[in-house]
Amino acid sequence: MDRRQFTFGALAMPALSLAGPAAAADTVRMRDLYNKDLSFSDYAEAHAGERIAVAGFMAPPLKAEATFFVLTKRPLAVCPFCESEAEWPDDILAIYTKRAIVVVPFNVRIVTRGMLELGTFRDPETGFLSRVRLADASYDRA
Amino acid sequence: MQRMVLATTAMALTLAAASAQDTLPQAGSQWYTDGEATLAAMLSHQPIVGRAKNVILFVADGNGIATNYATRLYAGQLDGKLGEEHVLPYEAFPNLALVKTYNVNAQTPDSAPTAGAMNTGVKQVFNTINLAPEGAIHDDCASEAANRLKTFAEIVSEAGKAVGIVSTARITHATPAAVYAKTANRNWEGDVPEGCTDSKDIATQLIDQMNAGVIDLAFGGGRRYFLPADVTDGEGKKGRRKDGQNYVDAMTKAGGQYAWNTETFKALNLDGSTPVLGLFEDSHMKYEADRDPAEEPSLEDMTRAAISYLANNEGGFYLEIEAGRVDHANHDGNAYRTVTDGVEFAEAVAAGDELTADEDTLIIVTADHEHAIALNGYCGRGSPILGLCYDVAKGQLKHSDELVLAADGKPYTVIGYLNGPGAVLKQQEDGTYSGERAELTQEEVTDPEYLQEALIPMSSESHSGEDVALYAKGPMAHLFDGTVEQNYIFHVMNHAVSAD
Repeated sequence: MDRRQFTFGALAMPALSLAGPAAAADTVRMRDLYNKDLSFSDYAEAHAGERIAVAGFMAPPLKAEATFFVLTKRPLAVCPFCESEAEWPDDILAIYTKRAIVVVPFNVRIVTRGMLELGTFRDPETGFLSRVRLADASYDRA
Repeated sequence: MQRMVLATTAMALTLAAASAQDTLPQAGSQWYTDGEATLAAMLSHQPIVGRAKNVILFVADGNGIATNYATRLYAGQLDGKLGEEHVLPYEAFPNLALVKTYNVNAQTPDSAPTAGAMNTGVKQVFNTINLAPEGAIHDDCASEAANRLKTFAEIVSEAGKAVGIVSTARITHATPAAVYAKTANRNWEGDVPEGCTDSKDIATQLIDQMNAGVIDLAFGGGRRYFLPADVTDGEGKKGRRKDGQNYVDAMTKAGGQYAWNTETFKALNLDGSTPVLGLFEDSHMKYEADRDPAEEPSLEDMTRAAISYLANNEGGFYLEIEAGRVDHANHDGNAYRTVTDGVEFAEAVAAGDELTADEDTLIIVTADHEHAIALNGYCGRGSPILGLCYDVAKGQLKHSDELVLAADGKPYTVIGYLNGPGAVLKQQEDGTYSGERAELTQEEVTDPEYLQEALIPMSSESHSGEDVALYAKGPMAHLFDGTVEQNYIFHVMNHAVSAD
C-alpha cells in the first residue's frame, strides 16, 4: 500500500466499515441515478436519504482544501477544440466530503460513498448549483 | 463519342474476364464472383457531367479512415454481421479521393481552417475561419478586415440557391461556422475582445447572414450565444451574450421561425417561405447514445427536415451537414460514443441520398481531420470492435474464443488511442507518471463509459494529421480522385454548380 492509498483508506474508514471494499457489488454507476431526460431514476428516488456508493471520476477540483468535488461518469477531458471554457456535463454528482479532499487524478476511477440528496441546491460558498449530491461522503480508488 | 469508347472498352474487358473466369480454380468462390460483379458495376458507371442543382457536403468531424473503419464494423456488428464485410451507405458511392488536411501553419489541423478550406477554396491558418492565409493572424482581430474571404454560401446564394447548415455541435462551432463566419479566433462564438470594433462574434455573423438572405436554415446546438445573460432558456440554462442581444426574439419578431426542442422542431413550417433557426441545446447537442428523442431531434431528423425545406427553392440549394460529436467522443477517448454518433451520421447520409436525385445533386461525404486513434492486431474476424481482441481461428470465419494476450499476459482492446485521458500512465502524488495495464474484461471494456487504453497521458485526445477519405456521387463527383488538398473540395463544388 502506498502513502496515497493509505491516506484514502484512512479517510474512507467510517464509510468503509459498513460498506466493505470499494468496488463492492452495491456500487452503482452515475447512469443509474439519471434517466435519459435527466429526471431521477427509480433507484435514486428509492434511495434518497440513504448512504449509497457511486463509481466515477473526480473532476479537477474547483479549489484546494475543499470538502467538495464533482463526480463525473467519464474522465472530464478538457478539450481546447471542443470548448472555449470549462463545461460541466449535465449528468454530474456533487460530492460533499467529511474531510478536506486529497485530489485523485481526473482519469483514475474512484468509488464515493455518502448520503444521497435529491433536489436543487446552490452552495452558498462556491455558488455551485447541483440537483443531486452525496453528503458526508468519503471515497477511495476503485 | 466518349461514352461509346468507354462502352466498347467495357465490353472487351468483360469478355476477357469471362474467358479467364472459366479457367481459374477460384472462379466459383463467392469472393471471386463478388469481385467480378463490382468490376462490372465500375465498368458500366458513367460520370454525371451536367450542372449540379444542389450540393450537400456531409462532414463527420474527426471521422478519418481509422475512425470510419471502427464505425463500419460497429454498424455491421449491430446488423448481426461479423462486421468487416459491412458497407456504410456512403462507402458504396462511386467516387473516392484521399484528402490532405493540414493547415497552412499546422501539420495537425483543427476543425476551423479545415472547414474554411472546404468553404472558400484556400487552406487557412490554425484556429481561424475564412481569412486569407497570407495575412490572417490567430487571435488578432486587426488581421480580419483585409483578409475576409468570400464563402461558397455567399457565391451560390447570389446565384439563387438556398443555403442550410445542420450540426450536432453548437451552430457557432468551427465546422458550421465556416459556412457563414469570418474570424481570427474560432472561440469568439458569443463575443469578441474589447477594442475589436471591426469584428463580430460568430453568432452575430450567423444572424447577419440570415438577415441578409445568405443563410436560410440553421439547425444545431449553441443556444447560449443567441440569448442575453439575463434570459433563461426553455431548458433552464442562462444565455451568455454580454451585449444584451436576444437574437431568438429578434428572429421571430422579424418573421423567422425558431425551434428549441423536438416538439417545436416538428411544428416547423418547412415550405421554405421564412428563415428557420433551430437551437436544440444550450451547448452541443447530445451524443446519439445519450439523446432522448422526446427532447431533441437526431442528425437524420434534422437532415430530412433541412432537405424538405431547401428543396422548395427552385434554384437549388447548398447544405452542409456536420456530425460534430464523432470528434468530441474521440477527444474523450470513448470509442462507444464515437461509433454510435458515426452510425447516426451514416443514417443521415442515407437519408440525404434517398431524398435527392443523383442527376442533379452532388453529395460529398468526408471528414475534416483524423484522430490519434489506432487499431490493434491480430484479431480474428468478428472480434467486437469495441471489445477485446480475439485470436484468429484456423480455417474458420469467426474468431476463436481465445483472447490475444500482450507480452504482459493481459488482453487488450481492438481500438486504442495514441494519447488522451485513457492513458495507462497515471499521475502519481509526486507528479510523476507511471502505471500498468489493467486485467481487462469484456464486460468492462464494452461498458458505454469505457475509455480505450492510450499511450501518452493527455487531458484530451488529439487530432492527427493523416489523410481522410472523401466519397462522392452526382454531378462532377468523378473529379474527386487520387490524393487531393482539402481546399480542392470547394473547387469541385464551385465547378459543379456553374458547369455548362
